[in-house]
Order: sequence, then structure tokens, then C-alpha cells
Amino acid sequence: MRAFESDGGGVVSALFEPVEALLLTQLASQVTELIDESRTHGATADLAILRLLPDAYPGDADASAEFRRFTAAELSERKVRNAATMIADVAPAACAAGPVEVRLDAASAGAWLRSLTDVRLVLATRLGITEDGAAAEGEDEESLMLGDVYDWLGFVQDSLVNALDD
Amino acid sequence: MTLTAETTETSTSTVLSSPWVTVVWNDPVNLMSYVAWVFRRYFGFSRAEAEVRMLQVHNDGRAVVATGSREEMERHVEAMHDFGLWATLTTADA
Repeated sequence: MRAFESDGGGVVSALFEPVEALLLTQLASQVTELIDESRTHGATADLAILRLLPDAYPGDADASAEFRRFTAAELSERKVRNAATMIADVAPAACAAGPVEVRLDAASAGAWLRSLTDVRLVLATRLGITEDGAAAEGEDEESLMLGDVYDWLGFVQDSLVNALDD
Repeated sequence: MTLTAETTETSTSTVLSSPWVTVVWNDPVNLMSYVAWVFRRYFGFSRAEAEVRMLQVHNDGRAVVATGSREEMERHVEAMHDFGLWATLTTADA
């Protein structure tokens, strides 16, 4: 991958390998499935969902539940839409034979930043990352691999923020 | 004069009826660059102000980013959740 750069005029671009683009579409799809599942079952027991839609009133379960009742549907809808935007933007690069340049306008970049955050929040929950600088606890192959993916997503997001700042 | 009087009255009543704050909490996931970007973009903070608040979140574990009515703070908290930041609201004297 070549990090995001500003192309001027509010447009940013990066170069993605097909396997990287595929990974992004898969992760964004998984977050969408997770959100859809919680919407269907109305369950907030999943730690990842609780991090995506956290309690708004610390120490007040009733007020937090009330806030969630009024905001969860719209927030979930927006998170799913942001994921769909990222998937649509990066999907062509996933089926290419070589690296493809992905260009984002300001609206797409905003959706990407939010969706990358959602993906990283879910991954962090799965990896048990609870403190600054804490590494994944598991030493098994899958945890190590997910840890690498998590770090890479941080790199993608940081480069996108920096490109937007230019 | 009337204008001044009205302005004073409005701001007093706003203060009295607005004991709510939006708090953003530190979390191990969100990037410092992203948090500062969200503060600039959403709250319209200057680059320096956004940096100060972001570092406050990072170093102190939390920062108050807005003060106002409960309804306003609920809107801010919802927006922060949209960005993926961990935000809550509480009364200012809590």
C-alpha cells in the first residue's frame, strides 16, 4: 500500500494491493453483519456493540438505555452506510490484478475515517486491547494475525487523517 | 441598551438552565491524530485548541469538550459516537 496523499481540491488518494482491498471489504462487511445482528435481536450484550454504541450516561443505566433507544437506530444506519461507502470505494481494487489507486472525495473520506474506526473498535474488543499501547493478549496465530491487521488499519487511518490535514 | 440587557438576560438563563457537559474519554483504540481531527471538524476548534483537548483526553483520561443544555450535549454525544469516540454527558457539577 502507498499511504494516502492529498491530490488537492479536497481529494485524497492511496494505492492498495488487491489483497489489502479485499481485507478492507471483508472487515467492513463483518462489522455491518455485527450491527445488523444487533439491530435484529436488539441485543447490546456484545462488548463490540457496546463500544460502537456506548453508554451515554455513566452510572445511569436507565438514562443510557433511553438514550440508546432514541439514537441506536440512526447511528447503526449511519455506521452501515459508512461501511458500504468504504466497500464500494475499495471493491474495484480488490478484484484487480495489481495495485490500484483509490481516490476519495471529502464525503467518502469522512465515511472511511468513521468506518475504519468502527472496524478497529470491534477488532480491539476481540483482541482484548483495553489499555494504551497494550498488545493483544493471545499468542496464537490468529491473534497475532489480527494484531497485524489492527496495526495496519491504524496506519491506513493515520495516513488518511494526515492527507486530509495537508 | 435594550440589546445589552436582553443579551445578559439570555446568557444568565442559559447558564442557569444548562448545567450539562460533554465528556470525551481516553480509549486505547482511537488515534491521537484522529481525535484532534474530530475536535476540529465537529466542534470547530482551532488546531491548537483541538491539540490541547486531545492531549487532555490522552493524559488525563478525559476532557470536557462542550457545555450547554442537556439536549445539546445529547446531540454532541451522539455525534461523537458516530465518529467512534467514547463520549458521555453529565451534569457540570457532578
